[in-house]
Amino acid sequence: MKFSILREDILKPLQTISGVIERRQTMPILSNILLNLQGDEMTMTATDLEVELITRFKIGGSPTSGSTTVPARKFADICRTLPDGATLEVQLDGDRAKIKSGRSRFTLSTLSADDYPAIKGGDKVSELSLSEQDLKRIINKTQFSMAQQDVRYYINGLLLEVTRDRLCAVATDGHRMSMCETGADANQDEKMQFIVPRKGILELARLLKDTEQSVRLRFGSNHLRVEMDDIQFTTKLIDGKFPDYERVIPLNVSNKVTGNTESLKQTLIRTSILSNEKYRGIRIVLSPDSLQAVAHNPEMEEAEETVAVDYKGDNLEIGFNVSYIIDALNAVESEDVEMCFGDANSSCLVLPKNADRYKYVIMPMRL
Amino acid sequence: MILHADMDAFYASVEIRDRPELASRPVAVGGPARSRGVISAANYVARRYGVRSAMPTVTARKLCPQLVLLPGRMARYVEVSAQIRAIFHRYTPLVEPLSLDEAFLDVTASEKLFGTAVAIGKRIKDEIRNELGLTVSIGIASNKFVAKIASDIEKPDGFVYVGAGQVQAFLDPLPVERIWGVGKVTAGALHRLGIKTIAQLRRQSLPAMQELFGQHGAHLWELAHGRDARHVIPDQDARSLSHETTFAQDIEDSEVLLARLLELTEQVAMRLRRQHLKSRTVSLKIRFYDFSTLTRALTLDVATDNTRDLWQAVRDVFETRLPRPLPPVRLIGMGVSGFDNESEATAQGDLFAPPCAEMPVPTAIDAVTDTVNERFGARTLRRARILRGNDPAGKKS
Repeated sequence: MKFSILREDILKPLQTISGVIERRQTMPILSNILLNLQGDEMTMTATDLEVELITRFKIGGSPTSGSTTVPARKFADICRTLPDGATLEVQLDGDRAKIKSGRSRFTLSTLSADDYPAIKGGDKVSELSLSEQDLKRIINKTQFSMAQQDVRYYINGLLLEVTRDRLCAVATDGHRMSMCETGADANQDEKMQFIVPRKGILELARLLKDTEQSVRLRFGSNHLRVEMDDIQFTTKLIDGKFPDYERVIPLNVSNKVTGNTESLKQTLIRTSILSNEKYRGIRIVLSPDSLQAVAHNPEMEEAEETVAVDYKGDNLEIGFNVSYIIDALNAVESEDVEMCFGDANSSCLVLPKNADRYKYVIMPMRL
Repeated sequence: MILHADMDAFYASVEIRDRPELASRPVAVGGPARSRGVISAANYVARRYGVRSAMPTVTARKLCPQLVLLPGRMARYVEVSAQIRAIFHRYTPLVEPLSLDEAFLDVTASEKLFGTAVAIGKRIKDEIRNELGLTVSIGIASNKFVAKIASDIEKPDGFVYVGAGQVQAFLDPLPVERIWGVGKVTAGALHRLGIKTIAQLRRQSLPAMQELFGQHGAHLWELAHGRDARHVIPDQDARSLSHETTFAQDIEDSEVLLARLLELTEQVAMRLRRQHLKSRTVSLKIRFYDFSTLTRALTLDVATDNTRDLWQAVRDVFETRLPRPLPPVRLIGMGVSGFDNESEATAQGDLFAPPCAEMPVPTAIDAVTDTVNERFGARTLRRARILRGNDPAGKKS
């Protein structure tokens, strides 16, 4: 393998895919990226066995085909620190990769391309297309509620539910839940559910741009592949059954608060300063046309603030982890928001005050 | 000053105290021979025949056919242990129990109130004898390591004080096996180098010990000099709980390692529940054949005390965060930290909580297991997977 390339032309794809590589490796080859040059087409692959990113681009001049794997971080650092406009000459020489640029010479160790692990694409059980920005939006509206390391491994990810004309994303950590749906063209009658692991979702969200370009989602029985413009993203799926999320959406929500999203959020952010740093509990006190937020911490400091809202329901006192409500309000784009309560032991439903198709459910906390 | 108190043949002594007619006979507590039981304690009469704890009951019977074998009554030992601990607490709140029959006490601050460490040690010994009818061996020294050896050296009914100036003279003639952390494998390696006594170990250079045994070597070298900076950590203030086991032979078989790990997890989880704690962080410790040591931790979203949850977490760490292929392993350990107390941890409502006040299955399993094991002895009821790891080479703990 031998090719020359402008620093800028290789740096961007390299940085785009190398984010998936973990610092701490269990297998040496996982800290490498795969370079595969066929004719004038270069394919670069990075993986952590759970998520795989592949990018393709053209190489100018008269390159020689071949393939190898090189240490990702070192290769990216070399490209990054070379001056703007530098040209790199890369050549595989035995089990070493040699890089020349101006008066710099680097010799990198390599591992065989044949040993590089690939996530099997295999079968296809469902396929749909939607715009890149719609996919980005349903992920961003929900991903913050994903569990990180829950013993219920099936919630350490995002549920994607595919029906004929819509794609619905649901995330929960058992304490709160986010849902967002969008129109999509799936061409199937059966409802299907897939759980994408947390790391895959975060990586995908990073790659997606706000364009109207169409992206294709292809679900296999144990993986999801997303084809974007110049990048192919593949992630394993979590094999498990997501909790029945529809069952926990509260129906009996007689106590409805309508308020200005921004002023409610600012009130809660200020009050949260004096909540317990670890458990983040605050008390919400509802009375006609007023919402009061009260927080205490173990140092016996106290915060209290009242905000005017539209409220005709019962007098009610209820505790919450304030971070959960702030997260939800951060995601609400409408000027006004609706917060629906049952009693002090029931979950709260947060909705934008327009026709947008997302909502949040938050369980209370005993204070 | 640190005091190490170690009850003499504890389970057997409790049985003999409750049935004095057995006093002059060889007595052991343990499981019956036909169910492949092992001896968990033997009185000193039985020990004269060679009966030892951890020995298969079959072997003990061969050595001493007239042995009086009694089934363990764990609830009784727990009760007596609490009485002993209450006596310790008369003299200091800094009591670190190592097991039911063994504890460290830091009596430094108590000397003003109760007299010298030696006087305190004598009073504890007398009170345990007079009030409970049991004997204890006591070692007193300026650190844990020396105190622990001191309590063992004149067992039973021993009382050994090692003053600051006497530490080296006390340690030097002892065999290296006396050092905590020197098991069969390390002892063998030391012997091959001609190092048989603590004095010989002490005279090695620190770099040489590090070269041979890594971090562990440096630790042993410090101990050989009578230096040990570990504090007495009262159980209720513990920031972490852990158990580990060193294998007699290095193990490569993941099945065996996982079985051991599960066993350790059950032990740690039970201690956690006994102290009404829940933990968020689970850690796995592995020492390889070359003494290089790895610790890998995982922090859960929600604190737990379920054996099932802790096991799932540590198994996940074992399966995904260790180098592959796995080099031979000489030690495996499991620990928990990041404690939440129960009430705070459960204040947050759960969206998917089971309806009504039904106890989740894993919690119910733990409750039954704990009850059985407290009544009939540790490890009476265990997860079956542990049996898969019965490695023929045996193990020491």
